Amino acid sequence: MGGLEHATPGVLVLLAFAGWMLFRQLTRANNGHRHFIRRIPGIDAIESAVGRCAEQGRPVVFTTALTDVGPVLFACLGVLHSIAKRAAQYKLKLLIPQYSPEAMAIVEDTVREAYRAAGRANAFDPQSIVFLSSEQFAFASGYMGLVHRERAGAAFMFGVFAAEALVLAEAGQQVGARQVAASVSPEQVAFFICTCDYTLIGEELFSASAYMSREPVQVAALAAQDRVKLLFGALVICGVLCATAAQFYPVLKELMPHRLLVADWSAWLAWLLSPFVWS
Amino acid sequence: MELRRSIMDRRATFIRIVTLLGGVYFFLHFLLPESALVALGVHERHESITNGFIVVGSMALGLGLINLVMGHGGKLVFKRPGWGNSLALLVALVSMLVITFGQWMNGLSSSYDIRQVQLIGEFANRIIDDEQDPARRTVVPPLIERVVALTRYTRAKLDSITEAPVAGNSSSSNEAHTALAVELQSAAVTLREPLEKVQGVDFSTLTEANKAILGEFVDRANRLGGAYSALRQSDQSLTLFSRLHEVIYDGLFVQLGAAMFSLLGVYIAAAAYRAFRVRTLESALMMTAAVVVMLGQISAVFLMLNLGSFGEDAYTVLPKVRQWLLEVPNSAAFRAIRLGAGVAGLMLAIRMWLSIESKSFGANAKR
Repeated sequence: MGGLEHATPGVLVLLAFAGWMLFRQLTRANNGHRHFIRRIPGIDAIESAVGRCAEQGRPVVFTTALTDVGPVLFACLGVLHSIAKRAAQYKLKLLIPQYSPEAMAIVEDTVREAYRAAGRANAFDPQSIVFLSSEQFAFASGYMGLVHRERAGAAFMFGVFAAEALVLAEAGQQVGARQVAASVSPEQVAFFICTCDYTLIGEELFSASAYMSREPVQVAALAAQDRVKLLFGALVICGVLCATAAQFYPVLKELMPHRLLVADWSAWLAWLLSPFVWS
Repeated sequence: MELRRSIMDRRATFIRIVTLLGGVYFFLHFLLPESALVALGVHERHESITNGFIVVGSMALGLGLINLVMGHGGKLVFKRPGWGNSLALLVALVSMLVITFGQWMNGLSSSYDIRQVQLIGEFANRIIDDEQDPARRTVVPPLIERVVALTRYTRAKLDSITEAPVAGNSSSSNEAHTALAVELQSAAVTLREPLEKVQGVDFSTLTEANKAILGEFVDRANRLGGAYSALRQSDQSLTLFSRLHEVIYDGLFVQLGAAMFSLLGVYIAAAAYRAFRVRTLESALMMTAAVVVMLGQISAVFLMLNLGSFGEDAYTVLPKVRQWLLEVPNSAAFRAIRLGAGVAGLMLAIRMWLSIESKSFGANAKR
């Protein structure tokens, strides 16, 4: 089976379930239900790393590296907001080297808002958001230089990373910075585990913001995503069992549930949409 | 203050509506099969819509440029620590802007000149096509007038090519360039022969004989167009701007990037050393798996070492174990990470689409 060029009825059902689950959890949160979040040491370490910077008088560096505008960036912004708020409270220097100019404008807005929330709007310095380069290794060398020059006390690397991940992490390691990394790129997670003090793997990046802020909307979304993941897990197990059973009883191949997921509905849709076709 | 708040509220509402509509469009685009999109007439408009995002991206690049100039310009003006680096950066920035602009202008001029020559063959071809199509023949000028215009234009171009500085560049020490200039002169000479034939024949109607003469003219004109294009492109690569671009970008920037990449070799070794210190059960497991994968990659060594049946067994078994480690537990972990991140991304995307915002970056927090 190749990749999906468009959604099928099965995908639509899964998307509808995800949307329904999100609204259900939001409603529950709105009614006062408190969702449980397990302890994640890597996220706890973020606060202690910022506190350590305050003690040492060293700056905090936060980068979203190659992350472009999209869900991953918005997940990173939640964490950045919390870190920037603390940095503002502790009067710390916060540096945010940037790779993507599109993301830079959004990042600046988030940091400004965090300073305002901390009651120190005047302390916000737009120059703390430094555009380095849109070239991967030019960005990496700029980041290395920045971390070395400023002798960062803590470095947070959140988002999408590629080959430059180890270069960035080693720069922080060399100046003795407390480092927390979070990546949705599984290939780079191994490098971060070797080099950083704490590493958040995959979805933990998305949960970090909810964990730090405990805002009902974010926590409810976290609970919803866990339930959707349970459904996906159940589908995977169901698929494995069905495929195994089909090895012994070939007639079952025709009843495989994945057929619903990949079934084409072009003809049915064409009939449904025929009154609206633009001539 | 009230007015400002009202403006901010309206702005937030506007953004929410645009986000929702944009989301609906892309959701439907993903949802509907291509046949339905074609039937609805959306398919051919989709490219224009996605081009809008490229425009936004190019505007954002300007933001990056402004940030660089403001940050480093301020350092330079107030002579803050590190102003020398800022000066180097700004000089490099301006130099690259000027060089790239100069190169672009040269490219534009070359493209225009090349097109002028390539038009000869295309025009001759068009004359034949139009004459063979009764519908088009009635709406174009008479054949004889078009042939006269073609010959006049071709003669003028051939004269300019023979006398132009392009041909004079053959004195360059670049042998390839000289060969291209010779090829161009040869193509110009060979085109003159069918040109004379075209001028000497009556073109009041398109006979088979006339068509054959024009066909030969088209072939030679196309050869001239190809030779002229090759020479002008070679000319362009020899200009000052191109050479500066080559030195600064290809010779310096790309090589520095490669140097940064090569640092990874050292860093991987350092990271591996830290990772392979066996302190816990997990790190012991990781080290064992890593050693098996590495040995599986170079299992032929066991044969070379003449270890007898152990060497042969290791040569056979280790690659299989390595393959299993990479394809089964490793792939399973990768898929689990991707699935988890995908679901989390989906939830966040739904939240952003429907503007179910938290206070972190929502409009409510700005009050």
